[in-house]
Amino acid sequence: MNKFLRTLIPTDIAKGLSITGKHFSQVFFTANRRKVPFHIVSEYPEVPVKVQPRYRGRLTLLKDEQGEIKCVCCLACEKICPTQVITIEKGKKEGRKMPFPVRYDFEMERCIFCEFCVESCGFDSIILNHQFELASYNREDLSLGTEGLGQNMFVPSPVGKFSVADD
Amino acid sequence: MPTPTLTQSIVITLIQCLLVVIFVFVVVPLTVFAERKVLGHLQQRLGSTRVASGHVGVTGWMNRGMWKWGRIPVLSYWRGIPGLLADVLKLILKEDIIPTKADRFVFFLAPSISMVSAVVVFAAISFVPGTFFTFPVWFPFVGGLPVSGGIADINVGLLWILGVATVGVYGIVLAGWSSNSKYPLLGGLRSAAQMVSYEVPLALSLLAPVVLSASLNFGEMSARMATGMPFWALVPQVIGFLLYLTCGFAETNRLPFDMPEAENELVAGFHTEYSGMKFGFFYLAEYINMTVVAALASAFFLGGPWLLPFGLQGLLIPASVPFIGQPHAIFFVAKIVFLLFTYIWVRGTIPRYRYDQIMAVGWKYLIPMALINLLLAAAIRCFAV
Repeated sequence: MNKFLRTLIPTDIAKGLSITGKHFSQVFFTANRRKVPFHIVSEYPEVPVKVQPRYRGRLTLLKDEQGEIKCVCCLACEKICPTQVITIEKGKKEGRKMPFPVRYDFEMERCIFCEFCVESCGFDSIILNHQFELASYNREDLSLGTEGLGQNMFVPSPVGKFSVADD
Repeated sequence: MPTPTLTQSIVITLIQCLLVVIFVFVVVPLTVFAERKVLGHLQQRLGSTRVASGHVGVTGWMNRGMWKWGRIPVLSYWRGIPGLLADVLKLILKEDIIPTKADRFVFFLAPSISMVSAVVVFAAISFVPGTFFTFPVWFPFVGGLPVSGGIADINVGLLWILGVATVGVYGIVLAGWSSNSKYPLLGGLRSAAQMVSYEVPLALSLLAPVVLSASLNFGEMSARMATGMPFWALVPQVIGFLLYLTCGFAETNRLPFDMPEAENELVAGFHTEYSGMKFGFFYLAEYINMTVVAALASAFFLGGPWLLPFGLQGLLIPASVPFIGQPHAIFFVAKIVFLLFTYIWVRGTIPRYRYDQIMAVGWKYLIPMALINLLLAAAIRCFAV
């Protein structure tokens, strides 16, 4: 009997309609006001994306207050990396007790952004930054390192010119 | 008031036809645009705000321009409108592919049947009782003559509308069959079964206004339903409205009952093999059918050109009240627009039924309820009027 009544009187449909109607009116009346948008998407190429704190962008090496690389070459990240994109060469440096990474290479073209390396790091010396636009026109831009011209493990990647907002 | 000669009345009718065509071709693209925007808002998105997605070429130039105009508050909402133009251009310019083994004549005939049966219905719909407007005296050839609110004042208008609208099923079935491919055939068959079974409760729910108003003329029915009903006639009108709307969704193949072009299972339903303007005709016909169903619902249940729905107009507002006591075409159009919004609203809310569920709802619930509603209307007609 209860089920029959529920079939006859469409309260569930009314509930759903009220929810979607509320969403509609909220978005409709705030769509033009930029300050208080209710829509949860951004107009991406024109408006830069606000990423969540947990967003996993590109791997970046960190430096401490003295400008020293924090990495101590424990090779935990290299071992745990499922796609083996990290290559570290251990070395020595004047006035530094800990081992120093002479080379720290990162092949972003194969990286799956799983964040295992950051989790495995015992010295908090690497993070995945919040860079959203990682695409590039050249393959060479995707292989990063600490040596020579490729000293780009510390700075964000160069951004290809894709969006209208760049003009 | 001068009586028109035969030629003059033919010219007036042609002008009416032109007005209706303009109405249809303004409402339908706006509905398509509104569908994108409203569906987006229901899902907390913005809906369409650009042409294609490019930043190069013509569309890129347009997008950049629209982004600049979009800083003006009201314009920013309408940034997606050029996309509509691009859609129409695409439909017209696209290559028209006909499958090798298709039945070429029927393949050509099917979209025409759909389109014609959708548009022709507007002949019997009267937008406002009596005179819509009078031509000014300086107007050439037909100056000073009145234009009535509907094209044809048929005394069995409702019957005619239902009959012509049913022919639209042929378009879908023939399209599915003549494509000579399995997905369109399945889509066509499913839609035929669905539309045939929902035709019954649709007609039954429309019988309640017929019984209550004792007429089949479109204008007369909407006038009596709006102004001449006793209080108890509210009940069958409200129930009938809900029933009619449900069946109307099913008849126009809108989303909770979207069997012919079930996006999950069939490729695109009956119009898989269609491209170019032939597909455009099906698309147009679907939206025109939506407008027709909305027009019927607003005329017979929502009070038509009068302000208040469900016959409350006759109970609450006497005809002597200056503006809202009188019928206006603008009320009618506003109700149609609201119902079109409801179509999109329901589409964004309710998930699609399974095929057997559609049949069960149609035969086990809607038809008995429509019959009970009809009985109620008959009782009110017998005792209260």
